[in-house]
Amino acid sequence: MSEKPFFVGYLPAPGPLRTFLLTACILLIAGLGGAGFLMGAAQDDPGPGAFRFDYGRQTVTGVVEVTPYPVIHVTEGNDRIKPGDSFMMTAGGKSGVDGRAMPLNGQLAQVSGTVLERGDLYMMQLRGGRNGIQAVEGDAPDITPEPQGRWKLAGEICDGKCLAGAMRPGRGLAHKACANLCLLGDVPPIFVSTQPVLGEEFLLVVGPDGTRLPREAYDHVAQFITAEGEITKHGDLLVWEIDMDTIEVTE
Amino acid sequence: MSVKYIPVQWNPNKWVYDAVMLAGVAAFLWVFLYLTPGALSHEWPINPQIHNARAFGACAFVMLTVILCIGPAARLDKRFLPLLYNRRHFGVMTAFVALTHAGYILNWYFAFSSSDKYVGLLYANSSFGQIAGFPFEIFGIFALVCLLILAATSHDFWLKFLTPPVWKRLHYLIYAAYFSVAAHVSLGILQDQQNHVFTVLFLVGAGAVIVLHLAAWMQERSEAAAKDGAWAEVARINDFREGYAKIAKLATGDRVAVYLMEGKLSAISNACAHQNGPLGEGKIIDCLVTCPWHGFQYDVRNGRSPAPFTEKVPTYRVRLMGDMVEVHPDANPPGTYVEPVALPEPEPDLPEEGATA
Ligand code: HEM
Ligand code: FES
Repeated sequence: MSEKPFFVGYLPAPGPLRTFLLTACILLIAGLGGAGFLMGAAQDDPGPGAFRFDYGRQTVTGVVEVTPYPVIHVTEGNDRIKPGDSFMMTAGGKSGVDGRAMPLNGQLAQVSGTVLERGDLYMMQLRGGRNGIQAVEGDAPDITPEPQGRWKLAGEICDGKCLAGAMRPGRGLAHKACANLCLLGDVPPIFVSTQPVLGEEFLLVVGPDGTRLPREAYDHVAQFITAEGEITKHGDLLVWEIDMDTIEVTE
Repeated sequence: MSVKYIPVQWNPNKWVYDAVMLAGVAAFLWVFLYLTPGALSHEWPINPQIHNARAFGACAFVMLTVILCIGPAARLDKRFLPLLYNRRHFGVMTAFVALTHAGYILNWYFAFSSSDKYVGLLYANSSFGQIAGFPFEIFGIFALVCLLILAATSHDFWLKFLTPPVWKRLHYLIYAAYFSVAAHVSLGILQDQQNHVFTVLFLVGAGAVIVLHLAAWMQERSEAAAKDGAWAEVARINDFREGYAKIAKLATGDRVAVYLMEGKLSAISNACAHQNGPLGEGKIIDCLVTCPWHGFQYDVRNGRSPAPFTEKVPTYRVRLMGDMVEVHPDANPPGTYVEPVALPEPEPDLPEEGATA
């Protein structure tokens, strides 16, 4: 009667079975290593956004405008940031600077912090308290928004900070919950248009009549959508007032 | 067979098993974490926290896939049985790897906010009504909870405490966990990424689990050819080999192992009292049926483990109808003695009746 190899947990495995098991073990280890390589090497490029600590701390002066997300229109720049530039601001972590910027609406202020940059898009993460933003003496020039008409745009709503480089990846569906959390914390939302609009790829996106992006829009964060709305130019920044009723999911 | 509980009963095979498993996990993580960043050549690298989270998440998925392939593979080819033997350690390790994945995610995507990270995890995304942008994290949470329950109840104490049938049913949660992970991945990263290598590997893994389970199920069904009517046919006399069993599947779904020992037939339940190991796939060693999974032993005539052990399995009545061996589907209470049925022509030079038990 031919003995089939038989394995008992606490006894050594018999010869032929041992060869089989050895092969299985080697294949298992090699297979796991191979899977690690293929999965690891299949990750998408997270894009060029980053905190630019290498630029050093940036301090500039400008006019604060609450759009309702706070924006600064630079009047007195430095060697990187030029007068006439407009940029958005955030605080550390997933929070905005609304509380600090609101009282300074329309006034001249000095802001100081670290730049986050992704291509043409940049914003500033302000230092804490008055070191980050404080009123300065002087006459604030009037900032008049220039209407650019109603536009239908295609693209994706992102949280501006992660997109600009606070996180890599900082956009996309896997990142959606994180993006929502930023938006809830008053980080400015940005619309990434698939086609340049009036020369810009990134627009600050706001709700109707100078309100924040409404919570209903959060369902569409990170999705590819089309929607219509008025574009106005504030300094050199485009602000898109999204018409919630026109949102359509593409794909 | 334990008279008292010790945390883990180690033996050389378990060491080898765990060493191989850890080597595989280490190979996966090391390659993913340290080799691939060079191969990716992104201008700005993925944040280390996300890279780590992805490595551990992907590793946990692959580990779960392997675990779920071992079961049906061992049913299709007995040589895989030893891989089943210490699968619990594999499962516990998977729970830890998955926990690490969740930890990296929680401490990155859900950190830095004024709200608590656990609260943020649950409320940040509430788009339950859509596929693209569905809060896929919820499936990850469910899977993680399942894996942690399984890991926490993996010890023999729970097996004894819950009784093997309940324990085994509880451990079917692994399938719920796997489906949930599949949903987590399909609604999450698969919708997001542009590179589809991961998608292909995911489909291959999940496909292997499904195909192997189907194959094992079909093989069993064709083998079992379960009969109803009172007595159930097991096999013909000539099919029996001294020291080995034939397994019959009863109409009730229970399995019976009919052993030939010293020219006589005895039937016991196929489910080992330890972890439901297939007793009929074991053999008789020193007059005792020895379970192929962890070597628990039973006297085939009464289903009892030899003293000082106390495990018992149910026994069944056996009869001969011509050259067909049949069992009665009603199980006797565990440990009931049943007189063995001698085959018509006992083999000539058998040793004296063993005195063990
Ligand atoms: C509390 C529980 C969990 C949470 C919050 C969670 C969250 C996440 C998030 C946010 C991602 C996307 C990461 C990114 O690429 O940006 C992800 C990916 C993933 N998760 Fe989970 N997860 C959890 C549990 C699990 C479990 C238990 C498993 C598997 C056993 C798992 C497997 C995966 C896999 C395979 C990926 C894709 C990784 C890759 O891109 O290569 N997750 N998870
Ligand atoms: S199941 Fe563990 S010895 Fe039988």
